[in-house]
Amino acid sequence: MSASSTKFRVNIITNRCKECGICIGVCPTKVLVKGDKHNEHGFRYPLPVNIERCIGCRLCEYNCPDFAIFVEVVKK
Amino acid sequence: MVVSTLESSHPLDKYLRTARLPHIWCPGCGLGIALGSIMRAIDKRIKEGTLKKENLVFVTGIGCSARTSFYVNFDAAHTLHGRAIAFATGAKLAKPELEVIVIGGDGDIAGIGGNHLLHAAKRNMDLIVLMITNFVYAMTGGQVAPTTPLGLYTTTTPHGNPEPPLNVVKVVSSLNANYVARASVTHPALVEQYVYKALGMRGFRFIEILSTCPEIFGRHIGMRDPFTLYSTLRSKVIVKQSPSIEESDLDWGKGFVIGEYLVRDNPGYLDRIGRGLK
Amino acid sequence: MRKSFISGNIAIAEGAITAGMRFFAGYPITPASDIMEYLAERLPEIGGVVTQFEDEIASINAVVGASWAGVKSMTATSGPGFSLMLEALGLAVITETPLVVVDVMRAGPSTGVPTKTSQSDVMQVRYGAHGDYVIPVFAPWSAQEAYDLTIKAFNVAESLRTPVILLSDAVIAHLWESVLLAEPGEVEVINRKKPSSPPDEYLPYKPDNDLVPPMATFGEGYNVIVESLIHDERGFYRQDREAYRNLVKRIVNKVLSRVDSLFEVEAYYGDDYKYLLVSFGSTARSALAAARILRKSGIKASLLRLKTLSPLKLETLRKYCDEAEKIFVVENNMGKLVHDVERAAENDKVISLPLLDLEIPEPKDIVEGVRKWL
Repeated sequence: MSASSTKFRVNIITNRCKECGICIGVCPTKVLVKGDKHNEHGFRYPLPVNIERCIGCRLCEYNCPDFAIFVEVVKK
Repeated sequence: MVVSTLESSHPLDKYLRTARLPHIWCPGCGLGIALGSIMRAIDKRIKEGTLKKENLVFVTGIGCSARTSFYVNFDAAHTLHGRAIAFATGAKLAKPELEVIVIGGDGDIAGIGGNHLLHAAKRNMDLIVLMITNFVYAMTGGQVAPTTPLGLYTTTTPHGNPEPPLNVVKVVSSLNANYVARASVTHPALVEQYVYKALGMRGFRFIEILSTCPEIFGRHIGMRDPFTLYSTLRSKVIVKQSPSIEESDLDWGKGFVIGEYLVRDNPGYLDRIGRGLK
Repeated sequence: MRKSFISGNIAIAEGAITAGMRFFAGYPITPASDIMEYLAERLPEIGGVVTQFEDEIASINAVVGASWAGVKSMTATSGPGFSLMLEALGLAVITETPLVVVDVMRAGPSTGVPTKTSQSDVMQVRYGAHGDYVIPVFAPWSAQEAYDLTIKAFNVAESLRTPVILLSDAVIAHLWESVLLAEPGEVEVINRKKPSSPPDEYLPYKPDNDLVPPMATFGEGYNVIVESLIHDERGFYRQDREAYRNLVKRIVNKVLSRVDSLFEVEAYYGDDYKYLLVSFGSTARSALAAARILRKSGIKASLLRLKTLSPLKLETLRKYCDEAEKIFVVENNMGKLVHDVERAAENDKVISLPLLDLEIPEPKDIVEGVRKWL
């Protein structure tokens, strides 16, 4: 799944997520929150509910141990 | 929040055997963070034209860290416990244009493989060795490792670890390595920076990467929650520009000094035997 | 061809050079060290590398790595070093890595008598590593044969993608003889099969009809996977019975199916005999002398000399044994090859002559051993 603000898009490869919570913890602007839906392996992936707060720092991407989340700059 | 389906792929997917994902590592394991950072350093080198993808070889031994060779979409070897450096040395000597990277845990590299580490560093062998320190034998279920803190409970030291940890950065620095650094998965940009730098050097290059093992080590120290362990390790990391070896001890009380301990450009083994790099 | 007066150890080194070996890793050990010493001088002159490693474990692992980098590679050791190499020998088996390991036998167990000969490594070279496997083992009896069988060892290693053992001993090692050395083109040199499929279709462990997978190596753009775990054709770890059986059966059968070309024997006085001596390596030299002595005194003895100790073709052994009234297995150990001969022949005909000598056995000791049973 992915979610976009006018500047950034946060992409989550849900079936790779293992619900460790590191992305939620490291995000300086609290873009991500714990989700309630399970992926095919039974893990609840995070949701970028506050996507408009994203500053594009990529800490979630760099700290995700599962290659499950990445940030793109929205092209205008 | 406007939710849509995924349209692009992860920027590192081109270097990963994506068919084998999700990987085997436990939730919150730092290995994936380390691997991602290593891949970004490689990506930067490849994009710059200072590294050819087909020349990269990943050599690993046995253990959780050794499983990195499962997932990298390069030439890769998953060999014997402790013997990755020896295998890698043979490959590099036989084909000097290869860029050979060894990844292993502290048990694999400095425990069972310790003698090979000493001698590869002694001969300034043209290799990159990335030792991922998680303070415990994780794949086998939580036994004491070379880097386990003194006094800690593990499954084979139920009365407390009677041995102080091995400071591998100090050991390797005492030999003839060209590059010795320590990084931490809690600072992925530094992992990337050090690996990037090592990729542009010759001789023996050693980087210790401190990592989190919430499932096994976290259980031993009462921090099963991945982010709790991650942020605890992060709080103990002290980044220094040019740290001295004297402050390199692995000390959970005083904290872990990370940085580039040793940078030099002595001739590598290949230079010395007359088969210079490329 | 050019004639050269050299030792068995030098003959092995020269054979390896002729076969195209360009990477040698080793650790000093009596009585094998001079193979490395000789190569350290010679190999760099022809673009090769010799490195003395920190131990035998590193040596053989480096040889596996070098072979995967596309270079024919070898190590040489003696019994104690070979014991240290066993785990990596298994790695070479399961990763189907062409390489040659020379074991110059000395007396054991343990440190034993380093400078004296023995044939007591027959079991460890064939069966020492854990897991199921069969690897070729060749045992020369002269300097010339040390040269020839080293070339054969490399050719077999390359064509079957398997480790091959050259089993020499302290007597052959330092026996100086005239040896005919081949010039390039005068002897067949086989190189490993390369893939014909493009990298994105290449499966590193998918065999051709000959049970041997083509071998892409490091730096060729094939993203090869060298996998020590049980794996499928892609090189992916599998822990199911089907993948396990497929792999283990194939790596065993690719060797066993070549038994006709791998198994070599030589018969002496083989036309008319009542008593058959079976021997190999340096001890066979004494056994041949013993057969000659026995024949002079009217006892119809012959010698069957095994050049190959693995895989064995029991039918061939049986053919020779069936002709004999009694079979004497002459070996410089407590009796090892005798177990194989017992499988080939009727048990009550087979007599073990375990010489356990530290020198090359004297023919008279063998003659006496035979006479006791007549």
